[in-house]
Amino acid sequence: MQTIVELKNVTKEFQQKKAVNDVSFSIKQGEMVAILGANGAGKTTTMRMMLGLMKPTRGTVSLFQKDPKHKEVLERVGGMLQEVSVMDSLKVKELIQLIQSYYQHPLELSSLLELTGLHEEEWNKRTEKLSGGQKRRLNFALALAGNPDLLFLDEPTVGMDVTARENFWRKIKELNKQGKTILFTTHYLQEADEVAERIIMINKGEVVGDGTPEQLKGKLTKPRVRFQEKISYPIDFYRTLPFVVEVQKEKETVTLIATNADQLLKEIFDRQLNIHHIEVKLGRLEEVFSQLMEDTKEVDSNEHLLDAK
Amino acid sequence: MNTFWMQSKAETVRMLRNKYYIFWSLLVPVLFYFLFTNIFIAPREDDGLWNLHYLMSMTTFSIMGSSMMTLGIKIVQEKAEGWTIFLKITPLSQFIYYGAKMVAQTVIHLFSILVIFTAGILINDVSLLFSQWLFCGIWILFGSLPFLALGTIIGTIKKVETASGISNLLYMSMAITGGMWMPIEVFPSFMQQVAKWVPSYHFANGAWEIIRNHYPSFSSYLMIIGYLVLFMVLSTYIGKKREAV
Repeated sequence: MQTIVELKNVTKEFQQKKAVNDVSFSIKQGEMVAILGANGAGKTTTMRMMLGLMKPTRGTVSLFQKDPKHKEVLERVGGMLQEVSVMDSLKVKELIQLIQSYYQHPLELSSLLELTGLHEEEWNKRTEKLSGGQKRRLNFALALAGNPDLLFLDEPTVGMDVTARENFWRKIKELNKQGKTILFTTHYLQEADEVAERIIMINKGEVVGDGTPEQLKGKLTKPRVRFQEKISYPIDFYRTLPFVVEVQKEKETVTLIATNADQLLKEIFDRQLNIHHIEVKLGRLEEVFSQLMEDTKEVDSNEHLLDAK
Repeated sequence: MNTFWMQSKAETVRMLRNKYYIFWSLLVPVLFYFLFTNIFIAPREDDGLWNLHYLMSMTTFSIMGSSMMTLGIKIVQEKAEGWTIFLKITPLSQFIYYGAKMVAQTVIHLFSILVIFTAGILINDVSLLFSQWLFCGIWILFGSLPFLALGTIIGTIKKVETASGISNLLYMSMAITGGMWMPIEVFPSFMQQVAKWVPSYHFANGAWEIIRNHYPSFSSYLMIIGYLVLFMVLSTYIGKKREAV
């Protein structure tokens, strides 16, 4: 598959502060990628540089092997940005038709109206009379007006309720199946985990993880073996077992955090420990995520990052 | 071409749906015209001429307002609401965006001119040769250009409140110093000198000359074009500076 997004050593500084620091990655056609990070981690800045709205201080960004601002690129890209309202004093239908006219090969009106999720009687409503959620859906439809091959979504589900969110992601997955490349930012870990095929984790402006949710979990999280003791063993005994990195004990419940759960279990059975109710849990991405955030917080707690807006 | 047509149409429709435009650019000038030609009447040498003179004052006053205020504040609002950012990631060019705004303004100005001239005919039964009406209309459209450029300068302001405050202040002071509310002949001589240097005076004065069977003076043409160039340069300069951040 063809590479359509490429960032090479991209750095963005605001008044000497690095919002994005030496970020490199590439995205191939048809991928569904989440850029995951806490607020102020540099997600929005990265996305705005990819869209050509900001120039990197150093490094290069290319979409379809061209400058993001190239007219041919703009024809093939759609975006739903944060803090973007809709043009006022126009009716929903009028606005969609207007945006369609910007593109050579727009998506047809009926599909776009359907994408807004608005009822037919609201198609003739003025945009300023729509609710926040409805405006967001309209923004989504407008992002697709040009039938783009590459879709950027910056924190698309902020402010949506659970049902709206589910519907939204169902639609996005459908679009991805049609072959569209989708790139979205989020600070909801669960969302990235459930929706994306690939997660790029960003913290303090740097890429701290890049892979499928499973790969990230495997690489960053360690499995836990938990059981109940029938007779009590001292903590130090557990520490001597191979592959164990950490021991937690609460009454008769023992949790061993291990580098390799399979090997540890073999060891436990070989030694015939007097225990029962054995469970093996894979690490949760959430824990890794917050752990990562914690780690870097300790390193430089005084440094504030500029939220680029 | 289709994009330009659609964009211009949308901008025109938006302006016609703007209540502030209807109120400030149509109702207020017509109301002032009625009051100052029928209710507050000072002794005049020539009532007929005054009725025409003040009609031109109010028409230019109206057009100056919609050029600066409607255009400028809308641009600021669209920026503040992020709409302009969205447009930057679509293939729509800046040229079409601003071009369509100018087309819409011109269509609206033409509409304002027709409404206010008609009001003059209905209220005071004023009369001019058809060629004079036509020339006045064309002059007013031409004279609105520096104010449109000024509108784009106001458009570089970041906050809607600031933009609205500054444009109101500029609008009112230019209307007064340019003699749109009362003829500059009643001003002290110092103020009369100031008037000769403000664009609003030359804007209105061209029309005042036409109704008196004269041509707009060379200095009026010069001032209109001079201010147009000045404001365009300033607007481009400030715009570029803002973008560099």
